[in-house]
Amino acid sequence: MRHIPEDELHSYLDQALSRSQCVEIESHLAHCGACRGERDGIAALRDRTTALLSSLTPVRDRIPPSWGVLSRQAEERRSRRTARRQIGLWAASIVAALGLGWGAQALTHRPLPAESNLAQLRPAPVQTHRTSTGQQPAAFHAAAPVTRPESALVRSSVPGAQAERAERAIDASDRAIAAGDTLADPSPTEPVGTRLSTGRLPTSDFEFAGEGMWRTLSWDNAKRERGESVPRIRGLPVVEVQIGMSRGDSSGGPTMIVAQQLSSGQLIRTIEGPATDVTRLLASQHAESRSPWPTVQDSLAASDGTMSMLRGDRMLAIQASPSVPADSLRAMIRRLNAADR
Amino acid sequence: MRRVDELERLYQTSYTAVVRFLYRKVWDADRAEDLAQEVFLRLFQHKPEKPRAWVFAVAANLARDEARSAIRRRKHLTLLSTDPTPGPSRIQAADEAVEHDEQMEAVREALAALTPRDREVLLLWDAGLSYPEIASQTGLAVGAVGTTLARARKRLVEAYDTQHAQDHAAHS
Repeated sequence: MRHIPEDELHSYLDQALSRSQCVEIESHLAHCGACRGERDGIAALRDRTTALLSSLTPVRDRIPPSWGVLSRQAEERRSRRTARRQIGLWAASIVAALGLGWGAQALTHRPLPAESNLAQLRPAPVQTHRTSTGQQPAAFHAAAPVTRPESALVRSSVPGAQAERAERAIDASDRAIAAGDTLADPSPTEPVGTRLSTGRLPTSDFEFAGEGMWRTLSWDNAKRERGESVPRIRGLPVVEVQIGMSRGDSSGGPTMIVAQQLSSGQLIRTIEGPATDVTRLLASQHAESRSPWPTVQDSLAASDGTMSMLRGDRMLAIQASPSVPADSLRAMIRRLNAADR
Repeated sequence: MRRVDELERLYQTSYTAVVRFLYRKVWDADRAEDLAQEVFLRLFQHKPEKPRAWVFAVAANLARDEARSAIRRRKHLTLLSTDPTPGPSRIQAADEAVEHDEQMEAVREALAALTPRDREVLLLWDAGLSYPEIASQTGLAVGAVGTTLARARKRLVEAYDTQHAQDHAAHS
């Protein structure tokens, strides 16, 4: 005959068994005296345990709060937590707003480029055309049309020593303009525009597609290939150089387009080449913009943002995008022409 | 609303048991009262599905935290007395007070002689929790609760008797 295990009797007395288990145990107890004795002993143990533990009851002199008081306290705590959470959210939103503000400021005020890029953005060294060999210098001198003082432009047309002084003044001004608020002082040895020439030009209103083959070169490569004959405005970084391959190679060199950028973002293109090619080029460009290109009858012709000058069978043109005042263009191209002679 | 009524009924029927349960863990009547009120404040905020088991689970956690902080306090403070048991606030006869304190101390020591699991199961059972509730809180199988309780009861009584015999021998 199987007796009831001790832990089952504990569970039985603790009323932790199912009804069927209780019936089973009670039916056994009815016939088993040993198990009944065991049950009585466990019951006594249980009662004694309860009695011992009851001595560990605290002596309480506090009246517990009513349920209403407790629920009010809970509500107050909840509202305090909500307020703290809202304060935290406000603080977080303020911090986020400040962070966004700084981010926007950083975007609108772009930092100076890194030193490696800065060197590439430096303007070309300013050179005068007083060469000792007597060769006609190919480099052009001109001022940035937008920010050049009018007096300097006027003086640039004066020949002789006065013109040289004016040129020196303009050169210094060029450096200042080119350096602007983003560029460092020009270095005479570092190449210009090599990095920028790999990207797209800032404006796309001067498309030469369909006008024969063009090679796009970096300033370094163009200088290596064409030497100082590349027409450019001294003191401004060269973005890229395009050299025509279809015409004019046999008569004084191919057509070249040199894109340079002012610190203000304006793009200056200097175009030099056979008059027919340059005229066709500018005419096609104007045809695209549906505005008549001025007939090149005089030595000087101008339209919005563009000015050209005939020099024998060759033509020199300057185009600014966005447009600059005609006086600035005129002064610039006269200086380019004078420098070329 | 029905839920709130249920919680209120639980508060009315279990508050004393919770205070007692906590007292047997922190051994400070005032602190046990404070913790019990904290337990029911949290109960009102959380409104759990099984409030009775939840109340004792939270009470056990609070008591555990209290014990840890008490240990930290003891590390920083030099306590002259090692007996944190509060004296009865009511005026009692001196011999009654002494007898009460002695028995209480003996039971405390007997309880301390149990393993933590046996002690926890015994106190939860004494607080009125069912076997499934005890099993849920302690991680035991329901069938193991009876076995654990049987062992705990036996050891508690044995430890108390041993302690009582030693005290009696010391006094005589």
